Amino acid sequence: MTGPTGPLVNCPLCGLDYAPGGDTCKEHGCPLSFGTCATRHCPRCGYTIPDEERSVAVRLARKLLGRREPLIAESLAQLPAGARAVVSRLQGDPELLSRLTAQGIAPGVTVHLVQRSPTYVIEIGETTIAVERRVAEAIRLRPDGPR
Amino acid sequence: MYGASPTPTPDPADGDVRAEGGLRGRVILLGNPNVGKSVLFNALTGLRATVSNYPGTTVEVARGRLAGTDTEVIDSPGLNSILPLSEDERVTWDLVRATRGDPGAVVVQVADAKNLRRALLLTLQLGQLEVPSVLVLNMSDEAEARGIRIDQEGLEEALGIPVCTTVATKGLGVAEVQAALAAARLPRNHLPLSEDIAGPALELLTDGESAGSAEPGFQARYHEALLAHAETLARRFATEAEPATKAMSRRLGRLAVHPIWGWPILAAVLIGLYEFVGVFGAGTLVDLFETKVFGGYLSPWATALFGLVPWAPVRDLFVGEYGLITMGLSYGLAIVLPIVATFFTVFAILEDSGYLPRLAVMSDRVFRVMGLNGKAVLPMVLGLGCDTMATLTTRILPTPKERLLATLLLALGIPCSAQLGVILAMLAVVPIQAAAIWFAAVAGVMVTVGWLAARVLPGERGDFVVELPPMRLPELGNVLSKTVARVEWYLKEALPLFLLGTFVLFALDRLRLLDTVVRAGKPLVTGILGLPAEASSAFLIGFLRRDFAATRLFDMSRAGALDVVQLVVAMVTITLFIPCIANVFIIAKERGWRTAAAMAAFIFPIAFAVGGLVRVVMLGLGFGGAS
Repeated sequence: MTGPTGPLVNCPLCGLDYAPGGDTCKEHGCPLSFGTCATRHCPRCGYTIPDEERSVAVRLARKLLGRREPLIAESLAQLPAGARAVVSRLQGDPELLSRLTAQGIAPGVTVHLVQRSPTYVIEIGETTIAVERRVAEAIRLRPDGPR
Repeated sequence: MYGASPTPTPDPADGDVRAEGGLRGRVILLGNPNVGKSVLFNALTGLRATVSNYPGTTVEVARGRLAGTDTEVIDSPGLNSILPLSEDERVTWDLVRATRGDPGAVVVQVADAKNLRRALLLTLQLGQLEVPSVLVLNMSDEAEARGIRIDQEGLEEALGIPVCTTVATKGLGVAEVQAALAAARLPRNHLPLSEDIAGPALELLTDGESAGSAEPGFQARYHEALLAHAETLARRFATEAEPATKAMSRRLGRLAVHPIWGWPILAAVLIGLYEFVGVFGAGTLVDLFETKVFGGYLSPWATALFGLVPWAPVRDLFVGEYGLITMGLSYGLAIVLPIVATFFTVFAILEDSGYLPRLAVMSDRVFRVMGLNGKAVLPMVLGLGCDTMATLTTRILPTPKERLLATLLLALGIPCSAQLGVILAMLAVVPIQAAAIWFAAVAGVMVTVGWLAARVLPGERGDFVVELPPMRLPELGNVLSKTVARVEWYLKEALPLFLLGTFVLFALDRLRLLDTVVRAGKPLVTGILGLPAEASSAFLIGFLRRDFAATRLFDMSRAGALDVVQLVVAMVTITLFIPCIANVFIIAKERGWRTAAAMAAFIFPIAFAVGGLVRVVMLGLGFGGAS
């Protein structure tokens, strides 16, 4: 994890492009360092910038704000809030499927995911339905999105 | 234009036309949830079924007579498919199956004109079942406002049944529905279903016993096939809706379940409930009725009147310490009535506004800890009105395990509005920390017992799927009449027991047995709970009704007989006490006597144990020295 494998970093002070190293602050003899501080140091001028990738707080904030790698949502449970998608099939307990189809959720239908918390809320045309995560997982989506 | 378009010329080959001879027999209203069945029922019969804006209100079917005729009109619980998935949907299924071969019966399907596709799924099933029917497109004003135009005649032609449009809340088109009843006919059954679906589906629709024998997943495939055809019909006969972007109700509906804004809205609802029921109802109104009306007029008048009776036992029976008027009626009418009336008013408003299913969304997480899901909030909130009513409503929960858990939690820890009002009034005089202890103790016991019971009891939790109806402004008339009907129901249940309880106390007192009871209860009441021995009489009548017992304790505390610790201990114990006798009977009726007895045997020791524990904790925290 600590090897200089990542992309080069540009020092905002002196302009040097450098590969961020490991516990450089320790090498610099920082008395506060326990090897965990999330910073990068320019090897030339010593200027310190925060290393977002190593910051627990930044990672947590990103998770909370839902900024993640874009992925192809396979089920409604993976769809970001506000998105639309087309149902490809329903998968799960037969009783649940019978209930969902009776409410108008079926393959080919466009669903609009309004929100994911406290429960998932979906709109299908004029119908609004709240479901829990394990139900959202039963609703599988077409990979190509709404058409 | 609201009303039936000219009915297609009767074609004898098309099905049986029942114009001649008029219509006798029965009319069954059915349809998806929240399409206005109950409103149409009221308009047709001039009666009032409980109309509300959340799925599962019509648990029992409402029956009435078509205005000016002998025809029976039956309202049924909302459903999405004729094939039943829960106990309440089974009711409708049974009603529909019973119409097959009944020449006097007509099914009136009520549909949301904005959601034709979903409604047609039911229409097509009715067609398969070959029951004479009429399709009513209700809320056509909302549909029109959204730019939806429906080709009524085309639809009539395609389905082979009369199609009417109504705005039931305004009474528009209702007369046309009545006229169309006589023209109801067998729908055209020409579903393009493949043989491997149509055959088994009809078998499922008609025969309850075969329901379990179909291959798993068949029902879903059948629904999909129906939906596909419904979609085709909807596309052909209805224009698409314009998206309702800026509608107030839609925005409010979304805010109410919003991950952030949902919480302040929930808090506002709870504060409003507390202010109206706890402060206005249990404070202002109770004070008015108790001190002014009963204390100032009725009780003195009655005392004066019965003062003329020379025989002391009769005098005491009515106006003595345990008098039917001075205690029974005064508790029932002066204290309980204002509280339940205010609670049921708020409840009716919440119901009609469409907020209750949204409350289910907000509380889903909490209920999941207790082996339930958000749906269980509906019986729980209704339980704050009356646990007995609420126990009946547990039918809307999908699995037996959930129904049992919800029944247990209702019986254990949900105080009914009368009890809650009295408790709030009592807690108003103690420090806020003491009130918090009451809440923490009751909530803690509920969650712990729910959590444990969910792990001990066999079975599964059902999936959380709740439809969110649009938020609507409640209609004042509807709110009032529902409140009045519920209060009447409540008084019919509560007042006789209040009088019976008072009479039991009176009789025991006369027979000098009350002291015996007090002495017998002393180890429990004084030993464990540290209450004055007279509190035994409260717990004794608590076996009849918890709210009666709470009222008795309320009376004692106002007489200065209880200090802070005693007050909180008494409140915790009586909140967790076994439910009122009517509730026990309902539990027995719904779940069997063994369950009812087991619950009572489980709850009784818990109430006293927790009460004793709270006492120890409060004394340890130094509350004892405060008084």
